[in-house]
Amino acid sequence: MKAALIGAGQIARQHLSCLQGLPGVEVAAVCDLSPSVAECAAERYRIPSWYTDHRAMLREVRPDVIHVTTPPTSHFRLAMDSLEAGAHVIVEKPATSTFAELDALARRAGELGRALVEDYNYLFNSATREILRRVESGEFGAVIHVEAMISLDILGPSGFADPNAPHPCLAFAGGAIADFLPHLASLANLFVGPHRRAHTVWAKRKRSVLPYDEFRAVVDAERGTAALAFSASSQPNAFWLRVHGERMQATANLFETRLTFDRLRPGPKPVQPLLNGLEEGKSIRRAALGTLLQKFSGGPGTYEGLFRVLARTYQSLADGSTLPIPAQQVLEVNRLIAALRPEGSGA
Amino acid sequence: MKMLVTGANGFLGRHVLSALLARGHLVRALVRPAARVDDLGWPDSVDLFRADLRSTRELKPAFDGVDVLVHLAASVTGGEDAQFAATVVGTERLLGAMARTSCRRMVLASSFSVYDWSSIRGTLDESSPIEPVPALYARDGYSIAKSWQERVTRRFGEKHGWDLTVLRPGFIWGRDHAGIAALGQQLGRIQLVIGPFTHIPLTHVENCADLFALAAEDPRARGLTFNVVDGEGERIWRFAGQYLRGTSERRIRIPIPYHLAYWLVRLAFATVFRRNLKLPGLLIPNRFEARLKPLRYTNRRAREVLGWKPPLEFRECLSRTFGAAPATVPSLELAKKTG
Repeated sequence: MKAALIGAGQIARQHLSCLQGLPGVEVAAVCDLSPSVAECAAERYRIPSWYTDHRAMLREVRPDVIHVTTPPTSHFRLAMDSLEAGAHVIVEKPATSTFAELDALARRAGELGRALVEDYNYLFNSATREILRRVESGEFGAVIHVEAMISLDILGPSGFADPNAPHPCLAFAGGAIADFLPHLASLANLFVGPHRRAHTVWAKRKRSVLPYDEFRAVVDAERGTAALAFSASSQPNAFWLRVHGERMQATANLFETRLTFDRLRPGPKPVQPLLNGLEEGKSIRRAALGTLLQKFSGGPGTYEGLFRVLARTYQSLADGSTLPIPAQQVLEVNRLIAALRPEGSGA
Repeated sequence: MKMLVTGANGFLGRHVLSALLARGHLVRALVRPAARVDDLGWPDSVDLFRADLRSTRELKPAFDGVDVLVHLAASVTGGEDAQFAATVVGTERLLGAMARTSCRRMVLASSFSVYDWSSIRGTLDESSPIEPVPALYARDGYSIAKSWQERVTRRFGEKHGWDLTVLRPGFIWGRDHAGIAALGQQLGRIQLVIGPFTHIPLTHVENCADLFALAAEDPRARGLTFNVVDGEGERIWRFAGQYLRGTSERRIRIPIPYHLAYWLVRLAFATVFRRNLKLPGLLIPNRFEARLKPLRYTNRRAREVLGWKPPLEFRECLSRTFGAAPATVPSLELAKKTG
């Protein structure tokens, strides 16, 4: 399959690293508004051609799959142009600025018989997959509630809160935090299904160019409830996922490899906290070592989920099987994202 | 002459601005929109132009009336892509604007990091090879960005027939910036000094700034590349000692032979670490060499072509760096007197 990328920045390099190792995938071209960025990516990843005009690339290269990895405010137009050119589209999160745009993309993809995949990479991290495996095997019992909280310092002078060059995400309702809503919403959707209603709190605690730096939400969904949160002030950086089941509870830090389970055990009740604690301690020690080894041994690191999403998407496109992130799931997640955005944002 | 100085409030930029003023030039200082310049003591004659090279829509007005661009702006912090955007994309946008003006002369601050440290033996000078592809992409984000910045600048220069001078400084040091990478690795109270007898390609920030100012005004510099070092450079062991004394930091220096450390790093990189490029720089062989390889350095070209001599002796550099802080940048005082 012939792949091409629009946008050759940081996340694009993760896509390219993955694509280089996928059998049957040829990266034919890369495009970026900056000629240096495009040429550098082409040189570094031995891509035969580079462009600064995505329409020229679509016309001349005729890719089978386009990865849209530009800043998110440009996604809609680029994804739509790519669909119209006959390509399947893998778009980085957040796919669009509004649900209406996402809906328009999904409809067009359906009409043209093309795939539209939004990257929910944390659904495919090892920890998430292991929890899901236990849920699907029945070991976990029904999921009652899921909590997902990202603590990430985005208040520093570079990146989201750069006072010199406004980050593209500041154009979104919710500002920089909107960039993380797809992670939170996709995890809620995975474990408790499509949402019915959501209550949110958006707050600004620190001085910065960001409109908000704290976010909380309680979500009522078809199969359970979810509590979602983002904090720019809580440290250390972490992505906590806690899944509460009828017979088991799981806790994972998706920025690392930490994953622990508490479960109902046979035997006397007073011994259960001790056994759960011992097992938890063992898991944490193993995970701490695993995280360190992961850093030293290379590989995708926290992008392991992205590598799986891409590998499975290409596999599905090749053999016609169900996509790892089907269109229905993208719609459901984006409906929740729209409900999570600040009130009055019109999004 | 009127000079446009980018990165004018940076560590090197502040001294270049002062050196240009001292030589009687008019200066327009390009600084980022949120940069604080009030406490830099700049005279009113400095024309301030606030812009971010990555995002300011129109950069052409920065060149109004400008004879020479002295382009120092580059990112030294942040991730690889952030550095590339700030350093390379910023340069691309700046020079794109310059191409629409009558300004035809520029001086670029490049870096020793563009050289191919693995292949160079003996003396590193302006004729030494630069890092080739694909080895470049095993280097750190700063080296990749500076290599691309020089590449982009040379292309613009050739395309538009500009008079380009490229200056490649070694380790620029000075007050609050003496903890250079060549000092080795700190492990708590221990300072591992790798290759203690190796010379460091040092240039004190005021000496470095003096050569920038000279190159900007001297027509003999046109079309040439100059390495910027103050001389053959102090040995690492001695400089580490001076650094620790100057900063009153209590660390025990432990010498490690360069070749022993280098071959251990190479062996570990190829086996245990499986060529992982996300490791700390000291564990990646070509980054290790770029910091610590024992080579000789010379400023012969600057001396012979421009008659340059570093204005400050090493002893003066030490006292400027570690002695009592002056009220203002020393050369700015001179600029105010002569101006």
